[in-house]
Amino acid sequence: MNRSIKSILVLVCICAVTSLLMALTNELTAPIIEKNESAAANAALLQVMPEGKGFEAVDISTYTLPSTISEAYKEANGGYVFKMVTSGYSTNFVIMCGVSPDKSVSGALCLSSGETLGYEKTFGENMTGKNIQTVEEIDTVSGATKTTGAYISAVKDALNAAIILDGGSVDIRTEEEILADNLSAALPQADGAFTKLFIVEDIGFVDAVYSADNNTGYVYVVGEEFIAVDATGNILSETETDISEAVSKMLASSVSDIDITAYADMPTAIVSASVSATGNYIFDIKAAGFGISGDAWYNPSGEYIYIKISVTSEGKIIDCFTVSQKETDGIGSACADEEFYTQFNGKDESNFREIDAISGATITTNAYKTAVSRAFEALKILKGVE
Amino acid sequence: MNKNGNLSVLTKGILKENPVFILILGTCPTLATTNNVIGAFGMGIAALAVLVCSNILISLLRKIIPDNVRIPCYIVIIAGFVTIVEMVVKAFFPALYEMLGVYLALITVNCIILGRAEMFASKNNVVRSALDGLGMGIGFTLALCAMATIREVLGAGSFAGIAIPFMTDYKIEFFIKAPGGMLVYGLLIALVYKITSGKGPKKREFSCNGCPSAQYCSNGSCAKEVE
Amino acid sequence: MELFKSLIVILLSSVLLNNYVLSRFLGICPFLGVSKKLDQAVGMGVSVTAVMLLATAVTWPIQYFVLERFGLGYTQTIVFILVIAALVQMLENLLKKFSPSLHKGLGVYLPLITTNCAVLGVAINNITDGYNFLESMVSSLGVGLGFLLAMVLFSGVRSRIDESEVPESFKGLAVTLIAASFISLAFMGFAGIVDNLFA
Repeated sequence: MNRSIKSILVLVCICAVTSLLMALTNELTAPIIEKNESAAANAALLQVMPEGKGFEAVDISTYTLPSTISEAYKEANGGYVFKMVTSGYSTNFVIMCGVSPDKSVSGALCLSSGETLGYEKTFGENMTGKNIQTVEEIDTVSGATKTTGAYISAVKDALNAAIILDGGSVDIRTEEEILADNLSAALPQADGAFTKLFIVEDIGFVDAVYSADNNTGYVYVVGEEFIAVDATGNILSETETDISEAVSKMLASSVSDIDITAYADMPTAIVSASVSATGNYIFDIKAAGFGISGDAWYNPSGEYIYIKISVTSEGKIIDCFTVSQKETDGIGSACADEEFYTQFNGKDESNFREIDAISGATITTNAYKTAVSRAFEALKILKGVE
Repeated sequence: MNKNGNLSVLTKGILKENPVFILILGTCPTLATTNNVIGAFGMGIAALAVLVCSNILISLLRKIIPDNVRIPCYIVIIAGFVTIVEMVVKAFFPALYEMLGVYLALITVNCIILGRAEMFASKNNVVRSALDGLGMGIGFTLALCAMATIREVLGAGSFAGIAIPFMTDYKIEFFIKAPGGMLVYGLLIALVYKITSGKGPKKREFSCNGCPSAQYCSNGSCAKEVE
Repeated sequence: MELFKSLIVILLSSVLLNNYVLSRFLGICPFLGVSKKLDQAVGMGVSVTAVMLLATAVTWPIQYFVLERFGLGYTQTIVFILVIAALVQMLENLLKKFSPSLHKGLGVYLPLITTNCAVLGVAINNITDGYNFLESMVSSLGVGLGFLLAMVLFSGVRSRIDESEVPESFKGLAVTLIAASFISLAFMGFAGIVDNLFA
């Protein structure tokens, strides 16, 4: 018994002395190891800010920064380095951007670019020296519009974030947020829930009409102006713009369906048609985009693009809208973007083909244009011309 | 030969009882860290430091440590020194730390160190134990460097990271990969045997002599070899 | 499903691709020492797998719930080796008491395992690779099975070597290592299989 107690005692003593020695060494080496590790981490930061002296992490939770910013570091001379996670079209990609004290880009780098940005290095270098005004002048990489767009907007976010961290204030709202804010300001009783109306009447200079989801009224957008109208057509906002004609047209609007089977020559692409009391026509059209005619190698979805379009009896497009589509995600799917389909608004048969194509998606764009041309054919048939 | 001379204690580890080629101890770091000279040299020096320190301490404590708990005591002492060396390497040679990775921590279970503690330090005085550790450490380092030189020159066409003009065009990557390590080691053992023409220890099977657990393997293959 | 896939990838890559013995040289001592007969090889392989699973099951919680919580990360090596040594000792005592037949079969290999670097290696690597508990267990199982596979394969090769005429200088370890080199070369052929398994 005595022997085993001695054994245990010795073992415990040795453990204690060893632990002490280790703790001592740890005390001495831990700061150096930490310094080494932060130096290794800084190596990445130095790539986008070669002149950087020392970096210190910034607690970004205390600031309202653009949502893409995931990490921020302050440089000793007053510059910043931001790490951003953006959404391009197949993966999220991580961008590092350095902002020098004079609020220009000191370097930009895409850390994980699984996307079609073959010459990312030169693209990042192009950003160097740009500031918030000039950054938009970067040429986009053709074929990768969305990716380069995301890249540029990430760099813009970084430039804005630097201003915010220095105590300045910047409008960091996205376009959608600005629109939502303007709509709510015009018609507060709608509680911020609006739906864009598909317009079937020719209401001239009015750009768009939004309806409150709780039926409290409408907001008419004319240029920069947001005009609220209640459900019965009384104009609520103080404005010099006369929209009364448009309002009364919209209120009086009524639509009746047309039996297209009665017309033998009706193009097969026309799914349904209707006519308004004022004589404007509305067509639902299916377009054989990449989903139908696409190369079998790329697994086309087998779905048509469904388009809704309204045309005056004179043949001017009032409104155009992509109802549904299953084109290649990130390429042809851009046909569902408002930016794309509103290009047709106000066009007629002579000039509707002059719209900007979706980059990288020729088949989708051409199918869309063909579908629109079917609307003009259908219009002629319904009016009995020829 | 002066059997008890301190000089021979020092030199026997380098040649006559070279831990790598004659005693065949510490096979894993020998194979794993010899694909480049810098890593092999770093590994050798780290093992040398642990070996000398643990030999000194174990020799000092050899009369205090009871026989029945000596293996756990040795393991604690060795693991402690390994951790200290690990921290020092991490602090002052971060690149080497990256290169050696887990093998640095695995010095703890390197048979050379436990083997020398069991076979030498527990039976000899401090000075001789320190010299034994130093000699074994130098022998280990030299053997590792020799093997690493062959592998790196043939496999990567460079020496200690410096490219050799002609060799880079004809590098044979096999040698820096795992199978190349085993092949070179096997050939070197054969070569060393040829040179010493059997003057080394007669037992040329995988050695259980240095294995502190050998005595436990009463029914295992080791017992027969230790006999 | 995704979880299942990632576990399969971990398992296969530790059995075939990153076989500890043949590509990382961990546990090479018993590989060369105890692989002379098939039954020895199987006994050692099974014991190592069992100890690896046990060691991971204990060291993983220790690392995350004790060492990291109290800022003692630097004591990892010493704590792990002591835990493994204690586990091996306990396992041996338990086997001796409750299952003498199993102890007769496997017990003799247990003390050798304490200083088997593959066991300490897998415990440390599971932490360095940032695996969660389930992944760590699967990876340990894979490493253990990989070790068993290498031992069994090699015991066959060893018996052929013993029967053949080997030049004097190559006798013993030299020719064994060269044979191991060829097995290792064969395992390099698995590179790429695991990556493309679900591609």
